[in-house]
Order: sequence, then structure tokens, then C-alpha cells
Amino acid sequence: MSHPTTLAGPAGAPDAVTPKNGGTPGRDAARAKRRKTLRGIWPNVLALVLAALFIFPVYWMFSTSFKPATEVLTKTPTFFFSPTFEHYGTATEVDLFWTFVRNSVLVTVGAVALALVVALAASFAIVRMRFKGRKGLVLAVMMAQMAPWEVMVIVMYLIARDAEVLNSIGFLTLIYFVMVLPFTIWTLRGFIAAVPKELEEAAMIDGCSRTQAFMKVIFPLLAPGLMSTSLFGFITAWNEFAMVLVLNKDPEAYTLPLWLTQFQSAFGNDWGATMAASSLFALPVLLLFIFLQRRAVGGLSAGAVKG
Amino acid sequence: MKRKLIAAIGVAAMLGVSACGSDSDDSGDNGSGGGDKTLTVWVMDGSAPDEWVTELNKEFESANEGVTVKIQEQQWNGIQEKITTSLSEDTPPDVIELGNTQTAGYAVTGGLADLTDMKADLGYDSWIEGMVSSTEIDGKLFAAPWYAANRAVIYDKSIFEEAGVEPPTTREEWLDGLKKIEKETDAQPLYLPGQSWYIYAGFLWDEGGDLAVQDGDQWKGSLATPEGEAAMNFYKELAAYTNAPTDIDESTPQQSTDIIPKGDVASWIGLGWEAGGAQAAIEEAGGEADFGYFPIPGKSADQPGHVFFGGSNLAVSERSQNKELAQEWLKLATSEKWMKKYAEATGGALLPNSEAAQVTPEPGSFAEAMVKAADVGRITPVTPGWANVETDPNPIKQYMTNVLNGSDPEKAGKDADTTITERINQG
Amino acid sequence: MTVQTEGVTPVAEEPPPRDPAPGPAEPSPRPRRSLPSGWLPYVLIGPAVVALAVFLGYPLIRNVIVSLQQLGRIEMISRTTVWTGLGNYTELLQDDMFWTVVARTFVFMAVNVVLIMVFGTLIGLLLNRLGKKMRMVLSISLVLAWAMPIVASATVFRWLFDTQFGVMNWVMRSLGFEGYDQHNWFDTGFSTLAIVTLLIVWASVPFVALNMYAGLTTISGELYEAARMDGASNARIFRSVVFPMLKPFFLITTFLEIIWVFKAFAQIYALNAGGPNRESETLPVFAYVEGMSQMQFGVAAAASVLTILLLMIAMSFYFRLILKQEDEQ
Repeated sequence: MSHPTTLAGPAGAPDAVTPKNGGTPGRDAARAKRRKTLRGIWPNVLALVLAALFIFPVYWMFSTSFKPATEVLTKTPTFFFSPTFEHYGTATEVDLFWTFVRNSVLVTVGAVALALVVALAASFAIVRMRFKGRKGLVLAVMMAQMAPWEVMVIVMYLIARDAEVLNSIGFLTLIYFVMVLPFTIWTLRGFIAAVPKELEEAAMIDGCSRTQAFMKVIFPLLAPGLMSTSLFGFITAWNEFAMVLVLNKDPEAYTLPLWLTQFQSAFGNDWGATMAASSLFALPVLLLFIFLQRRAVGGLSAGAVKG
Repeated sequence: MKRKLIAAIGVAAMLGVSACGSDSDDSGDNGSGGGDKTLTVWVMDGSAPDEWVTELNKEFESANEGVTVKIQEQQWNGIQEKITTSLSEDTPPDVIELGNTQTAGYAVTGGLADLTDMKADLGYDSWIEGMVSSTEIDGKLFAAPWYAANRAVIYDKSIFEEAGVEPPTTREEWLDGLKKIEKETDAQPLYLPGQSWYIYAGFLWDEGGDLAVQDGDQWKGSLATPEGEAAMNFYKELAAYTNAPTDIDESTPQQSTDIIPKGDVASWIGLGWEAGGAQAAIEEAGGEADFGYFPIPGKSADQPGHVFFGGSNLAVSERSQNKELAQEWLKLATSEKWMKKYAEATGGALLPNSEAAQVTPEPGSFAEAMVKAADVGRITPVTPGWANVETDPNPIKQYMTNVLNGSDPEKAGKDADTTITERINQG
Repeated sequence: MTVQTEGVTPVAEEPPPRDPAPGPAEPSPRPRRSLPSGWLPYVLIGPAVVALAVFLGYPLIRNVIVSLQQLGRIEMISRTTVWTGLGNYTELLQDDMFWTVVARTFVFMAVNVVLIMVFGTLIGLLLNRLGKKMRMVLSISLVLAWAMPIVASATVFRWLFDTQFGVMNWVMRSLGFEGYDQHNWFDTGFSTLAIVTLLIVWASVPFVALNMYAGLTTISGELYEAARMDGASNARIFRSVVFPMLKPFFLITTFLEIIWVFKAFAQIYALNAGGPNRESETLPVFAYVEGMSQMQFGVAAAASVLTILLLMIAMSFYFRLILKQEDEQ
């Protein structure tokens, strides 16, 4: 696991949170407008500059994936060229490509789903119940985020070898599940705490059982939280390389990160194919983000939760 | 990095023939019941030309009924961890391709089957001497040599002609030629990045030195020696004719595909597949490559400069479930018949393990220049700890950069020696 | 979204605690807070605890055990166990480089985290100010930066600063600066780390900025209004309105960033393998070079244990802070 995957965490959908106060947006907007006319230029200029800076490396990745091999590295960078789709062919015509896709999807979705379910239960208990060892658990979850997974590859390998679960998609899923679990508990815990206790209590007064209160009141309100949290898990599991490299040596059990680096080989690096593969690889994350963002907004507007 | 060499496959790669064995034989996966067996062979990406390996397996499978050979191509990324861990498993791959500088490291682990008893069977006596040394340790044989390759100077004929320079046979002629090119043309006389440490090793061997020497039962780095310094001085003289940065090797950016095709490089030092790669890239861009080749000149005209012999061996894993079959396969693959076919499949750009299997290279080809120097091909010290020395940050590379940037060779050499000594003795 | 802010804000500092907090240590007798305890919480946390224990706790213990062994290629393949006691630890601790690397790691981390937090916060504030369209443009570019796989981002950064073909050198030349024909941006450990910092900050800011913005949207507009009426300046508003409200957000985000930057490996290794002369190695890179890359798995394990210990010492005040919040809840 590498830094950015983790970082990539739950940068959430920016619009997910509705303003706390129903009455203000209008006035806010009016004020914003006034401000805009007065000195509205510089924030926009600044935003454009920043957007360009942030997007430039991404643009470079995309554009390289369409460049003819000879124009990838040039003394004077080429911004205009006749695009080629050849690299995408190279990248996707790899043997067993679709097997890798299937494995990656299985492992990622499996790990994220498991983590959400398990974390939901645990964080609910942490937030809403008092029990012995609660603080210890909180501390453990916090520290678990420091786990040196990169180094534990060898230990994991030894464990998997002794348990005879090498080349297993299931075992890999479980590892990824635990990799993302601490963060998932950590963030869900915050989401649950954000749901006013009174709502739940009101439901219970209305005759709901505790489970019903949870399912009918809390769960729907948590939907956006669940989704944004799942993004972090998704990216972590989706990008993981070191574990799968050593644990799964049978090509049938490879995942996409192994595919991603294979265009850098002994015969030179096929940069076009690497960038094409990277672009394809990043696509699901982007789509998921856009999808989640919309959902998350919808989910939240369902309740005047925060009021 | 050594991986670049191991994979030196020459023409097959030049022509863009990719070797993909893994798709062919996946059916017979479950080699357990009914006498059916599966033999798993790990080859590195690009090592085994497709046709060659398919035919070879056909012959092997028809001679051994019920056996399926599964070729699994390995990616370079993380290969060391993969091999180490897989050799510790109960069902490791049966046959493994190992780089020649890495073989000793695995031989001492007990993970490779002892092939000493098969010497005669394998044709030990016919193997090329320079290739044998990497397969043995303490008098025991742990692998069979498969192929090897060495570098030569690749030059642009038209630029040499423009400057009126002939391919040199001595170091003086070489330097004179470069000087002339610099004066007469606009081209960069020699593309030589500062960290091409295999080339430096050749110069070091020319001086009679080595990267590390045995000291009792330990090894120690030996760059801070008069030989080491002399070799580096020559490297520096050459580097005066290059525009290449001092802190990169030939693969970052890849000289063959990222540098040479842009033109205006009169000469560079590379392997057969690099020459092919550059040629292909130039042609793809609509140009025409007119390359000539000569061995790296030596100190005198009667012997070319020493070169590093990159290559691969084939070994059987000790825990193989089908050890005998694996040995049979290895024997067949490295037999004269199949090595000859291998040499043909790679257009002579790779040296097969015996002279008998060599094909006569075409005049004017890279192979011709390469073979001329093959007699003085050497490899890095054969000791299990060598593999550690090569890992990044490679102390030899750092030494070269430092000296080229003006550090005192003695001091830089001592720093590097300390690291080499520490790493090489770390089994 | 949400994630941090929405979650965290209320947990920590609801201005007036809804209930007087129960005693820090023992479950309060009040029925409302402690609901039916007994076995239920244990059932709920059971799966998480088991999973963490089996897949993290146990491997961590094995990791400590391995750190007391010599586990290299030979031991791995021959499956032998060679105990070396604290040998791996003394080897690391006696390395002249070790403490230099530790110091460098902390400085590097501090600089990165500060830059990430400052820029992240500023961009978050900017997002809050922008109109809808502009906000979308900026957020999308932030998201794209963050979705880019490391293989690609490290490669692209390497290209941007390449000596021969780097875009940066071209930009400098085009702007008329001298000496950028073949300028080497990775010439020293410092310059290498500066570029690594650029890469890490670039990749990390989106996380902070987007969350910061999400957090800002939870602050009621009336609060600003009131503050402005009182004649507070922007800086003042940030200090006395925004910052206190988002304190938990800053706390957690900084906590995560510290861990992530501290553990950053791929970026540093991919850009210059810790060079030149090992001058840009941080602790994880040092551990990799001394351990994993030479298949000294015992040494690698020992290095990871040391890393965790150092990190824990550095973060101990953080743990206390966050546990205190737990108590306040």
C-alpha cells in the first residue's frame, strides 16, 4: 500500500453537506454576489490557476497515453500531436486482462462491503454504548492506522503459506478488508455520532425496537457516510500491489496493479502503455467519486438531520 | 540493473516478437490425478521466443505422455521476492530462469536442485567457459547456462563517415575518433550516461582489477584501487564526449528508444535488443537507421575490451513435485539441438550455451561485433552476496556519479567499497 | 464530505454537551446513555475485534518475532529459524545513518504536513468562496489529482523534472532563465526532497481541501454574519469562528497526514531511490534499502517495529488529546 492510495481517502463530495441552517443560503448567496462584484475576480483567477496546477500531471498522463512513442519524451514538450489509440490496445490486449479485472473487482468490492458491515456494527457500539474496553478499542483502532502493511508482506506471506491459502482471492479480500477496517470504523464512528441521539430515541418511543430504530432511522441517514467512507476503502484495495505480488503468483489470481506495472520491462519501458493503463486504472475511481457525490447529496437532503 | 542484461534477447525482441507462453497451456492446470502431470516453467518476460518454446514443449510433451508444460512468464517487477518466496513453497515452479549474477544467491539456499550428477547428461563439457562459472558453487552444479549476451558499440554510419572516422580497434583510436566527430559534426560523439556500471566493470577488468575480491573467506569491495581509478579515468575521458547526465543509467530514460531515435548521436554502447529497439523506433518515426557495430576497443588492437556477460541460467527447484521431469525438460531445453534453434530464433544476437550451437552471425550485424568480444566476457563476482550489491542504491553507480562530478576517486571509492563489503558478505 | 467533518465535528465539541458527560471511566448509570449494555456491544464489536486480532494483531506479533530472527533468502527457503536476539535492532541503531535519517524524516514530515494543512485549508476556504461553476472546476481537478495512480504520478513527476527532457527545464528556458539546458533537479538530497515534497503535497492537498470545504459548509452562515457585524476581519473570523468549529477536523486530519507522510515510501523511492548518496532517504526508504531490498527480512521487521515506536512516541500527545475527546463525549 502506498501513501497516495491512503491519502486518496475519503476526500468527499464537496457538496455533500447541506448548510446547517435552512434560512441562510439565500442571504449567503446574496452576500456572495455582492462580494463577487466587488472583488470577485481574484478568487476565480486563483481557482483557475490552482485547477491548472493540480490537473497538469493528470493531463500529462492522459495526453501521453495518446502520444506516439517517439513523442513521449522530447526536449521541447509536444502539446499537439496526432493521437493514437495504440497504447490502449497494448494495455488491454494483455493475456488474462479480464481475469485481472474480475479479480480486482471481486477483491475490492468484497473488502469494502465487509469493512462497511463490520465497521458499522463496531462503530455503533463505540458511539452509542458504554462497555468495558471501549476506550481500549478506540485506541486500538487509532493505532491500527499506523500498521506497516508494506513490511508485513513477508509475515503475511508466511502465514498464508502455512495456512495454504496462497493464490487465494478470498484471503486477499480478507487482508484488504482489515487494511481498510480501522479507517472505516474511525470515520463511521464520526458519522454515527453526528446523527442526533434524539432521533433514535424518538423512534423508540414510537415503539420501534432498537434494531428497527437503527434500520429505519439511523441507517438511511448514514448512507452518505457509508458511501464516502467506502471510497477510501475502494482506493486502498484497488491500488494494493505489494501483498498480491507475493501472495498470488498464479496469473489466474493476479489483480490489476500487477498489470499496471508490467509495461515497464527489461526491454525498455512502454510509457504509452503504462500511461494508458494508468488512465484506465484511475477511471473507476473517478466514476465512483462522481457517482457517490451525487448519491451522497441526495442521501443527506433526505433529512434535516443536522438542525 | 542486471535485469536489462538478462533479458538480452536480441532479434526476437527487435522484431517485436513478444513471447507469450502463458496463454497456451492453461488447460492442464490440475496436474494431480490420473498420471497427468503439469510442469511449470518460469521464464522472464521476453526470454523465450514464442515459437521456440511452443515447439520445444510439443516435443517434450510427446516424449512424456500425460505431461503438460505450463510456461509462466514473469514480470521484472519484484521478481526477487517472488522467486525467494516461491522456492520456499511446497509446490514451487519446477524450472526457473535465473539471472547469472543471481544464481549463486539461490544456489546456497538449498532451494535449487543439485545437478552435479547430471553433468555428463547436460553436456557440461561443451558449455562456454564464461557462462559456466555462474552455475557452480563449491564445485556443485545448480543450474545449466541458457544464454548470454554482451555489449558492443553501436554507431551511426553516416555520422562516422561525415567525420571521416573508421571503427576503432584501440582506446586511442576510439578517443581520437570521438574528438574528430565532435570537431567535424554537430552530433553528440558518444551517449554515455554516468552510471553505466557494466561498462565501467569492463574497463576495470581491462586494468586487471575487479569489483570485489576475495579476502580470506570474506569478500571486499575493490574500487579504491589503482585499477579502479584508472578504469574510472578512462570512463571520464569518454564522458567528455557525451551530453548525458552523470546520475542516470542507460535505462532512465531508455537510451535505445528515448534517446537514440531523436538523432544526432554518433555512437552509444548497448545490447542487441537495444540496437533493434532503436532501429524499430527510428523506422516507426519514418526515419532510417544505418547502424554499424564494433566491439568496445581494448587497450591494444589484439584484444577487444572486456565486457560484462549478461545472461540467464535454468535451474530446477529442490521442492519440485516433478523433479525428474523438470530435469528432463531442462536437459532438452539446453541441449545442443534446442540451443541451436534458440540461437536461430534470436538471430544470433544471443549466445547459446555451447559453441556448437552458435550460428554464424551475418557480416555487419550486431551479433558479429558481439561475438568478437565474447571471449573476454566476464561476470560479476560469483558469490551469494553479489545480488545484494546490485540493489538500488547501487554503490558502484553512486561512485561513478561522484567521480564524474569531481569527487576524489580514492575517497569515493572507499565509500563505495565499504558498502560493497558490507552487502556482499551478507549472504 | 463529510467524512471527517460531518463525522467529527459533533463528536468532539458540540458546544453545549447534550448530556452532562458520564464519568470518564465507568458506564454511567443513566439509562439514556448506556442503554442496554451487557452482551450487545460485545456482539457488535466482535467481528471487528476478531478481524483486527487475527489479521493485524497476530501478524504484528509475528513481525516482532521475525525482527528477532535472521530471516534472509537462505532461512526463508530452507525454512529454518535462526534467532539473533536483538541483533537486528543493534545493527540498525548502530548504523551511523540511522539517527540522521530519523531526524530527516521528522523534519520532512513536519514540513510536508504543515504545507499540506496550510494549502489544504486555504484551498478549502477558497472553494467555499467560489461560485458554483468555478467550485466544480476546482474540485474536479482536485479529485483527478487524487485518483491518479502512483505509478503514473511518480513517473510524470520524474519526467517533469528530467534533466534532458524535463518540462520544467523547458519552462525555465522559455522564460529566459540561463543554465536550464540540462539542469539536474535531483542534484542534491535537499533538491530531491523538495520535489518529493511537491509531489506529496500535490497528492495530499485535495483530501484536506475537499474535507475542509465540506466542513465549512456545516458552519452556519449566521455565525459569519454575526462575527462580521461585530466588525471582525477575515483572519479574525477564521481564528475565532472557523477554527474552533473545525478543531476536531484539524486534529484528525493532521493526525492522518502525519501517519501518511511519515510512512510515505513509493514517492521518494520512485523519484530518486533515496539518492544521491542516500541523502534523501527517510525512515521507510532506509528500512527498505537495508532490509527488504537485500532480503534481510528480519532487519526489515526490526526497522518497522522501530518506526512504529518512534511514531507512537511522536504521536503520544495526539492519542491523549483524542482520548480526552472520548471522555468528553
